[in-house]
Amino acid sequence: MSIEPITGRYLTVDVAGAPRRIYFEEAGQGQAVLCLHTAGADSRQWRHLMNDAEVTATHRLIAFDMPWHGKSLPPEGFETEEYLLTTEAYIETVLAVIDGLGLEKPVLAGCSMGGRIALQLAALHGDRFSGFIAIEASDFQAAWYDIDWFHRPDAHGGEMGAALVSANISPFAPDQERWNTLWMFMQSGPGVFRGDLSFYTQDKSLIDRLGQIKTDNTPVHLIVGAYDMTCTPEDARRTAAAIPGATLAVMDELGHFPMSEHPAGFRPFFVDALGRMPRARSQAA
Amino acid sequence: MLAIFQDIQARLNDTPHLMRLGRLFSETVLIEIDSEEFYLRFDRGRLVDVTPGPSRKTPWRFALRTDAEALHRFWCARPEPGFHDIFGLVKIGRGRIDGDILCLVKNLRFFKDVMALARHKEGVTA
Repeated sequence: MSIEPITGRYLTVDVAGAPRRIYFEEAGQGQAVLCLHTAGADSRQWRHLMNDAEVTATHRLIAFDMPWHGKSLPPEGFETEEYLLTTEAYIETVLAVIDGLGLEKPVLAGCSMGGRIALQLAALHGDRFSGFIAIEASDFQAAWYDIDWFHRPDAHGGEMGAALVSANISPFAPDQERWNTLWMFMQSGPGVFRGDLSFYTQDKSLIDRLGQIKTDNTPVHLIVGAYDMTCTPEDARRTAAAIPGATLAVMDELGHFPMSEHPAGFRPFFVDALGRMPRARSQAA
Repeated sequence: MLAIFQDIQARLNDTPHLMRLGRLFSETVLIEIDSEEFYLRFDRGRLVDVTPGPSRKTPWRFALRTDAEALHRFWCARPEPGFHDIFGLVKIGRGRIDGDILCLVKNLRFFKDVMALARHKEGVTA
């Protein structure tokens, strides 16, 4: 029998003028690190690091489920709404969670679409953060698939989405964690993966903003896996090169969901990234 | 190459969980390797026959076109990036998928797992 140190609670914040009930988990104490999950998944992707006693001895890791994902409900009226994530709504949500939790200059760690929005926040709201860890993050990715495949009445979008993203998981990933990672996609609500991909594959606004990111006081460190077929090392290199002062690490044996698919393989890269972040002043509770 | 697909056929038909995944899949798939054609006819998740081409009169639902070297690298126990997945082959320019791609996507886990049945186990080089 064992009980993990992760605790989960709910926070209600306003986004786009309406309340969102957001589920968040946290573990540890010290420098706050706000962790963002990928498209079509939820905060469980971060559970391995949140259960890592050495990491949480000096860092307070917080991960939340975006509205529509995991245990965060969609907003009232969702039944008649087409879910399409936008850069604006994503930024507003992240900042609302930071304000709601009273976090002062957290490090922002995001993966995939979470990495994309981390770079958007670095460009537009850099002063709200201590630094950025952008994992499997790039300036823009055009879809090589049809995002409408993943929301249709005659097939299970979650199962198709999981089968698609399995192309992004490294053969070095332990089978158990490969399937746990895919399970989250299988559980994704109808149209949610599609709505996330709409943001990820159609919004090009970051490209022109990369050059305005200031890394002097808020470092930006990118991490990318060689088995990532969506955000390839080449994509991450191009993105890092466009951000003055950004650094990049390539993980030869990992894919697009490193913290979830291969926790042991990802750990040293994440610890290295944390070491590159400045220590913030005392953190609010 | 025919022997490899016949081996895949035997393995699939001895793998109940995969046949269950493919229970709604009754289609013919064309695998083109360099200029060699193989028609894989599935019936409710079973691979009922593997027929070498060429053939101009065998209808197929979707096709995977690649080259022998790429497939051998795909079947390594720990394939290199891009060679680890059929969509990876497409991404790195070593494969092409034609035809009813939505049909493939609806049965994607099944088809990927079938193609991976010839993958070598860790530590086995044969």
